[in-house]
Amino acid sequence: MATSTITQESAPRHGGKAPQRGTSLGGRLLRLNWVGGSLGWIWLLIVMLPLYWIVITSLKTQSNYFITNPLKPPTDITFENYKTVIEADFVRFFFNSVIVTAGATIPAVLFSLMAAYAVVRGATNRWLKGINALFLMGLAIPLQAVIIPVYLIIIRAHLYDSLLAIILPSAAFAIPLSVLVLGNFIRDVPKELFESMRMDGATEWGTLWRLAFPLTRPALVTVTIYSALQIWNGFILPLILTQSPNQRTMPLALWTFQSEFGVNVPAVAASVTLTTIPIVLAYAIGRRQLLSGLTAGFGK
Amino acid sequence: MIDSNYSRRRFLGLVGGTAGAAALAACGSSGPSEDGGSSGGGGGGAASYWSLSGPPGQEYRQASVDRFNKANPNTKITPTFFQNDAYKQKITTSIGAGQGPTMIWGWGGGGLKAYVEAGQVEDLTDWFGQNAAVKSKILDSSFGAATVNGKIYAMPVETVQPIVLFYNKKVFDKVGVQPPQSWGDIMALVPKFNAAKIAPFSLGGQSRWTNMMWLEFLLDRTAGSDVFNNVFAGQKDAWSDPAVLTMLTQIQDLVKANGFVKGFSSITADSNADQALLYTGKAAMMVHGSWSYGIQKANGGSFVKDGGLGWMNFPAVEGGKGDPSNTVGNPGQYLSISSKASAEAKDTAKKFFSTTLVDNDEMAGWIKSGGVPVLKGASFTGSDDAEFLTSMADIASKAKIFAQSWDQALSPTAAETLLDNIAKLFQLQISPQQWVDSMNGVIGK
Amino acid sequence: MTTLAPPAVRVKEPTRTSGGRSGAVLWMALPALVWFVIFAVIPLIGVLLLSFTTWNGIGTIHGSGLTSWKAALTDPGLPRALWVTFVIMALSWLVQTPISILLGVFIAARSKYRGLLAVLYFVPVLLSSAAISITYKALLDPNFGLSAGLGVSWLAQDWLGQSGLALGVVVFVVSWQYIPFHSLIYQGGVRQIPQSLYEASQIDGAGRMRQFFSITLPQLKYTIITSSTLMVVGSLTSFDLIYVLTAGGPGDSTRTLALQMYQFGFQARLMGPASAIAVILVLIGLAISLLLRRLGGRADESQLEGM
Repeated sequence: MATSTITQESAPRHGGKAPQRGTSLGGRLLRLNWVGGSLGWIWLLIVMLPLYWIVITSLKTQSNYFITNPLKPPTDITFENYKTVIEADFVRFFFNSVIVTAGATIPAVLFSLMAAYAVVRGATNRWLKGINALFLMGLAIPLQAVIIPVYLIIIRAHLYDSLLAIILPSAAFAIPLSVLVLGNFIRDVPKELFESMRMDGATEWGTLWRLAFPLTRPALVTVTIYSALQIWNGFILPLILTQSPNQRTMPLALWTFQSEFGVNVPAVAASVTLTTIPIVLAYAIGRRQLLSGLTAGFGK
Repeated sequence: MIDSNYSRRRFLGLVGGTAGAAALAACGSSGPSEDGGSSGGGGGGAASYWSLSGPPGQEYRQASVDRFNKANPNTKITPTFFQNDAYKQKITTSIGAGQGPTMIWGWGGGGLKAYVEAGQVEDLTDWFGQNAAVKSKILDSSFGAATVNGKIYAMPVETVQPIVLFYNKKVFDKVGVQPPQSWGDIMALVPKFNAAKIAPFSLGGQSRWTNMMWLEFLLDRTAGSDVFNNVFAGQKDAWSDPAVLTMLTQIQDLVKANGFVKGFSSITADSNADQALLYTGKAAMMVHGSWSYGIQKANGGSFVKDGGLGWMNFPAVEGGKGDPSNTVGNPGQYLSISSKASAEAKDTAKKFFSTTLVDNDEMAGWIKSGGVPVLKGASFTGSDDAEFLTSMADIASKAKIFAQSWDQALSPTAAETLLDNIAKLFQLQISPQQWVDSMNGVIGK
Repeated sequence: MTTLAPPAVRVKEPTRTSGGRSGAVLWMALPALVWFVIFAVIPLIGVLLLSFTTWNGIGTIHGSGLTSWKAALTDPGLPRALWVTFVIMALSWLVQTPISILLGVFIAARSKYRGLLAVLYFVPVLLSSAAISITYKALLDPNFGLSAGLGVSWLAQDWLGQSGLALGVVVFVVSWQYIPFHSLIYQGGVRQIPQSLYEASQIDGAGRMRQFFSITLPQLKYTIITSSTLMVVGSLTSFDLIYVLTAGGPGDSTRTLALQMYQFGFQARLMGPASAIAVILVLIGLAISLLLRRLGGRADESQLEGM
């Protein structure tokens, strides 16, 4: 009885057929969900209003900023702010952020997957229990509190003022949550699947990559995006662990437009606009892949 | 890479003798290292210098360093600039970890005192004694905030920034009233402006220190400088002076009379929205630092150029004991030398102090930035802003007491409680008596 | 027919891996472990040690036994900070979860315009806290913000100046930033609900509302747990956004535990009590994650793991 239940439900699920199913399901859901429908449009308005404000403000001069209506596009559009931003070496800051984010997220997620696999498969092992408890404890370590010890470790490792100095701790702090989420996923993979892998003579290493990896793709995508966002927007680690302007990441670089006594709001708006557009484009292009990543695999 | 050796050993000794130290040592590289420090620069007399980024100051700080490096090709100063809030955390962390720069930029007062007590900054008293010529070039009133327990630990640099009462002349003309000469005048003006649908005072209350400036002036005008001096000296229950209660009640009366713009607790000073209220004529007056002049000039269109902006020292309070010529604000910015820096780096820093930081270019630079230099004998003729700068210099030099902002003067612990309680006071969440009680609780802390 | 849901799998006693084999996977946990120990556990030990000292952050560290713990635990701000942390956590969960689910279901449909919407929805999570706070402070400014722009005077509230409103603003802005991310997770979750479930229930004559509650929601159970974990843990440690938006104000009405720690540590320079609060935060985080693990993991396994 139980076995047949598994075949029934798992076959359509990790058969990778979800995308083909989407259209009719979507149509159904649309009709189902008028609440979601109206909410969708209202939410769009809520999301867009601040974004719209950022874009139009980036086209104003600083002296016009308080004089003009905050929600009307300026009559005399200026691109001065964008020029300022580009001249302030924002391209470099942008690529620093890309390097840091990719460099920290990818190893963190892969190592977390391995650890999650080990923790779940070796659930009876005393050591692994301890390791798992340690990761759980790490979930809520406030970065602000541990920044001084982290700083000292980075200095001892001769990494101060390098991108690696940001990458290493950023990745470490992404690990606990990733292990937790991935572990929950792997735990729900039916044991029979592991069993049949073992029958086929697969090693644990092979099982990890050929079974757990594809089945946890939705969770992998989730934790990858989540960790990447945290690191992308991280402020405290770059601030404390780097010094020279060449190593600055974008959240730090915003202060280029904050003077001792105030903020150059239009310039900040321009830098936000300029640096967000490439990611939005990348997301728009990669969304299909990303979504199929979120839907493939075993159900969660 | 000057001040790196002492530090890790020390911190390890501190956090450690414990498992933490063992663990740190186990994972790091072997032993205290020779480089990798935070200070930048090369060998010899190289010195590092951390300060604030952004206009108006960064340009002139960089210029000073460039001048020095050009004149002294063998001893290089490496500057690094950080944004205001970021700087505070960066400098605390670095000094705490023993990785601070050779020259530490600061605001003097309580912050400097903490460095002094931690033995982090060099005593410059003897040096100033030997270099009387340097000391004589700097305004005397600027040394107060550089002095801890009778010894000088920092060199006053850059500009003096008194806090003044700005007003919009056009709005005063429109309503047909005169600028206030006393606290009574202020309270009389409030209903008139409110009737004309103009906020009497602009206030960026979200930033908290903006509210504090009001208390600083009111207390000084009401009771003179004694009360706060007692607080500063850590005297028990020093806030319990009756003048404090009077002054706090006056402030709450002004709040209750709608003296401040509606929703002032949501207005931020860092976006300059408070100043925009003044130059757009939505508010008639504003108590703010002298730096606001430059901001209004840059952002207010022709407002400043057309003579729309008026300013004066904060008026007297009827029956008050304080001298109305006193002022509050920043009597200067301050450069200290790290006691952990190498002897060569310290020498470089001292040479920088005694040559570049007191030369004519330095003075001209800060005048050009729109400020009043801490150096004596500044002449503003030829400057666009001569009128404003002359009266600021006047206020600064005629003031019998140039009190430092409270949050800078007090210890960081007390300053935090102070700002918190001031915000609550302005929102009428606590009574004057409650304010006094909680402030007495952190005296000397 | 609803037994097709994953829990059905659990009825069967799964074939367990033998204890002997678990040693073979131990090494796989090592890279993450070593990395994590160096950059998180060792610093945490440092913090634990610091909580038994008195240190102003720049001077000498003195051992002082339980003084710092006493100072932290007797501070009148602590219960308040715990409460604010809890309220922000709970409210942002309550706001984010239903909206994220509904939006996730909405954008799960495959149509061009919804694809575009999904892209636009996603933008807020890309913005840094500094950018978001500058934007919202400008929009909420009573004189130059939204109210002036739209000419609606009702919008000129004292948004950041009144306790209740400021708390609401914090929850709103946090939700504004993170709902896009969570609706993306739900979108993925919705897309893999087998259509056969809906077909079957249609045969049974179930209405659409009932389908949503009897199929969609139960099927999303594990997505909900994943997303809730991220939300709850995220809001526990979230610091940047609230710091730049309200700095804990007005007064202490938005001062969370993380902010309280920051104010002790870096503003008041009382590193001892700040470290004690950090330890408290870690303990709360541990408790919450254990709770969530129980919800997420299977009961039988949890027992076996001794968690």
